[in-house]
Amino acid sequence: MALLGTRLYLAFDASAVTSAAVSGGLGGLRVRGFARVPLGPGALEPSAVGPNLLQGDEVRAAVRRAAVGMDGDRVTVVLPDGVARVVLVDLPDGAEPQDYVRYRLAASLPWPATEAVVDALPAGPGRVVGAAVRRSTVAEYEQAVIAAGLGVDRVHLAPLVALEGLMRSGTRDALHAVLGDVALCLATFRGGLPVGLRSRRRDPSTVEASWLREEAARAAALAGDGAGSLPLVLSGREASRLRRELGAETAGRGLQGPGEWPDAVEAAWLGGLVS
Amino acid sequence: MSPQPDFSSVPRPSRVPRWERLAVAAGLLALVAAGVLAWRTREEARVAGARLAEVRREVEAASARLRTLEARRRAGLPALPAADAPPASIVADVASLLPADARLEGLSIDYADGGSLELRVVARDAAAWDRLLERLEQDPRLGDVEPGPETREGEVRSLVRARWVGGAP
Repeated sequence: MALLGTRLYLAFDASAVTSAAVSGGLGGLRVRGFARVPLGPGALEPSAVGPNLLQGDEVRAAVRRAAVGMDGDRVTVVLPDGVARVVLVDLPDGAEPQDYVRYRLAASLPWPATEAVVDALPAGPGRVVGAAVRRSTVAEYEQAVIAAGLGVDRVHLAPLVALEGLMRSGTRDALHAVLGDVALCLATFRGGLPVGLRSRRRDPSTVEASWLREEAARAAALAGDGAGSLPLVLSGREASRLRRELGAETAGRGLQGPGEWPDAVEAAWLGGLVS
Repeated sequence: MSPQPDFSSVPRPSRVPRWERLAVAAGLLALVAAGVLAWRTREEARVAGARLAEVRREVEAASARLRTLEARRRAGLPALPAADAPPASIVADVASLLPADARLEGLSIDYADGGSLELRVVARDAAAWDRLLERLEQDPRLGDVEPGPETREGEVRSLVRARWVGGAP
């Protein structure tokens, strides 16, 4: 029973536009429908700077197709990994999270800070995961949705949706690699909360698995507290392939979308949403 | 920081989820209902308090009257002066004075006027009417007996005014 209504999520990434109708009920969130519409190479290139929707017509058509037959009067746009600057920050006493994240990120943004849309996700006492996206980048995605005849209710970030799910589920101590098409987020979790966070562009070469292993080790070391090594857990795009290449004993399975739709399994953001 | 992050390019009006709106509405309704119930209960308590005070006053008055009657009894005075004689007692006493061929159709007692009575009586004939008047006038519990106008159509109908003096017959 969709007691709390149905929300339509539209997620973008380089390889596809995906949609999921998610309803809320007494038992939590439930995915009622899912669709994945592939995009041609170069149609969409997630980037923090510059245009993302390089072939706007194709992307808008994909949005329309992804939304066909989906319930949901409210649309949440999920932006892909690679469009935002993401940071884990400890808040000083009395600091307003958004203001403090803006202050912390301002100097490192590749665009004027006044053009940044900033928000934050609570990550334990006195700590938040903050993110900044260029306003014009957000507007590109919003316009694609509006052009398809839909109204935008909220804009979220795929890595933050996944992190939210990991925190909500009280994940075990591990180094989580949440993979998007072009970027990944490496989050070190201890006690169910993130203690370290890094974002990297993915390495499309044939040696990505070994690159990932090195990045994971680096991320764990940066977030290290001397409590020993952490297992690597993979979620998201091509997580299954990378797990095979790394060996199941090296890399565990992380967030997964509902198995009713084979294409949904590697949608880490959806796995995070319903976890 | 909103409950869920929102990176929309332009601020949008509050998007409070429907269930939260429903919860707030239900909470407000419950608050109003509780307020109404509290007001009603308080009003009932106020009415009950007023009624209690009234009953206490009546009890005190009755106690005072009882003490007066006791004092009269000890002094050998008639136990029930006009102001204290209960209606049923007066009716019974008046009815006992009626001869067999007369009947009482109505009796009103005005305690404010010192126990004045109005008797609507019917007698079978003039002789019965005379006997009734005689009995009324001779009874020591009644004073100032004044027969009113009579109608004589076979039986005699009249209104008799008197004053209830009380005491033993």
